[in-house]
Amino acid sequence: MTAIVLFALAAATPRIDFASNLPAKGTFPAKWIHGSPSLLDNTDPPIQVHWYNEHTVMLRENKAYNYEGAFMYLYFGNDRAILLDQGSTSSPTEWPLRQTVDKLVETWTRKHKSRADYELVLAFSHLHGDHYAASPQFLDRPYTRIMGLTHQQMVDFWGMKNYPSDRVEFDLGGRKIWVWGNPGHIDSEFAYYDTYTQILFTGDMFYRGRCYVGNFTAWMASMKRLVEFAEKYPVTHIVGCHIEISKTGKDYPRATTYQPDEPPLQMDVAMLKRTYEFGKAITKPGIYFTGDVYIANQTRGTMTIDKNPYAY
Amino acid sequence: MRTLLIPLAALAAAAQPSLDGLAPGSIRYKWIHGSICAATNRDPRIQVVPYNDSTIVMRENMAIHWEAPFTYLLVGKERALLIDTGATPEAKYYPLRATVDGLIRRFASLAGKTDLPLTIVMTSPEDIAQNQGRRQFEGRPNTTIAQPPVAVDLGGRLVTAIPTRGTHKDGVSYYDAQTGLLFTGDFLFPGRVLIANDGDYVASLERLKTFAESNPVKWILGGHIEMQATPGLAYSTRTNFKPNERVLQMESEEIGEALLHARRILGKEEVAIRANFILMNRVGPDTLGRWPADLPRPSATVILR
Repeated sequence: MTAIVLFALAAATPRIDFASNLPAKGTFPAKWIHGSPSLLDNTDPPIQVHWYNEHTVMLRENKAYNYEGAFMYLYFGNDRAILLDQGSTSSPTEWPLRQTVDKLVETWTRKHKSRADYELVLAFSHLHGDHYAASPQFLDRPYTRIMGLTHQQMVDFWGMKNYPSDRVEFDLGGRKIWVWGNPGHIDSEFAYYDTYTQILFTGDMFYRGRCYVGNFTAWMASMKRLVEFAEKYPVTHIVGCHIEISKTGKDYPRATTYQPDEPPLQMDVAMLKRTYEFGKAITKPGIYFTGDVYIANQTRGTMTIDKNPYAY
Repeated sequence: MRTLLIPLAALAAAAQPSLDGLAPGSIRYKWIHGSICAATNRDPRIQVVPYNDSTIVMRENMAIHWEAPFTYLLVGKERALLIDTGATPEAKYYPLRATVDGLIRRFASLAGKTDLPLTIVMTSPEDIAQNQGRRQFEGRPNTTIAQPPVAVDLGGRLVTAIPTRGTHKDGVSYYDAQTGLLFTGDFLFPGRVLIANDGDYVASLERLKTFAESNPVKWILGGHIEMQATPGLAYSTRTNFKPNERVLQMESEEIGEALLHARRILGKEEVAIRANFILMNRVGPDTLGRWPADLPRPSATVILR
């Protein structure tokens, strides 16, 4: 593990203990915002903000702003916060991620009397546009580090020498985040484990929807790495970036903008293991339903299991 | 040279009826085409554009429904005809009835009448991208929802029905003899034509081709636009922001082009990418086709909204 060097600590404020009484408990909302029949008439906020616990925020992009309906995660530590993923829309006037995150950081830092140079770190799960689109909104934000948009910049950001096997520790100030390579969906993806809530964030590699696999060998190796991690360390929940299936396992076709029957975002280790075991039997490209998620193996990204409903 | 040109021109005229006698019209407006975020869209719910002083083209805002269907109102001396009814049933989201009511009030007033009877037809009564607005008209006075498809005399303006099964088992195209406009719904339009029965599709194209050889077709007007301005490129299904759309109207020659390629892919699971439309036979709606050798391949682009 590579430790990231901390800022000098501010003496005045009492430090929050992120290392005891683990895992820190939290709650998920009963239902996330999930689009609407007419997007023009959608009245939900552009970004749903949910406080999982006092130091952990989960955000969801409104499907009426972009069909991706991406989930984002904001973890607060004593010295800095990390925002994992920045959504699908770049324009600040259309989709105000910066404004939303600024308010959250201000709320948290005021409450906890944080240092004036409290830092924000912008990183993302993987190198697809629906996960970093709004990062330019932060380009003039002081005390803000932003992950670069190439594979090498991503790997260098975490100081990894051997991608994807290196696991690095990133310290938010008492709250440690573990990061390692998680390729398979695409080559440039990370897994993020929060030691405080013990939530494992698996991006677009593994989530309740169509796990689009570009490189099946890499995906299986990453799944094995995740399973082995979950056998060694406690994992309370596994969370991804999207929801694309219904409660009953029905596929919401690509770019669906109204999903009234969504299952929970969070998954468990048993689902991860079942999916990995299911993957062992896959030998050729195609779309497979595992009972928990869809594995879209090398289907060129845009293919779904949609059929022409009018065929006769 | 001049003597040589005349018979050539006469030959061309024989293959394609003259457009000279048709009532003139044009589409000189940019279509509303969605926005970066549908929720912040500020376009009208229905864009209303004249083709000429008795022919109206309406488009549903794609922030309300991604299909963004086109519907058409044709007006004669005695009657108005609404072709297709859009993708959204709720009048509060998609006020088709109120829009048509307003247009008919003006047309009636110009004719010195208190009202004009309305007939409604659909290019496919089963097509949920074009039949959803129908219920807004149920119980409307002086209104006929025509089924099965028939020719409609609007009073000095005859609109004929041509059965065009193939993308729907109840597909019909409508031809307005006054303007030469051919309304094809999703049977032939600048987008992904999802063939539902390829035998019927070929037979209907043959019928339509024969029809166009004896009746002047100024433009083919379909129910949607899915193609981009770049030949051969389509927006993917459910896209609700299309800043680089192709125009709506197509030349009548596209019937022959469609027939050529529909015959070629008959019985096959295949996608035929053409410059102005894409035929999709026995495959899912999101299937990507092989790029054809006779079209310039566009350079790959990554566009972030």
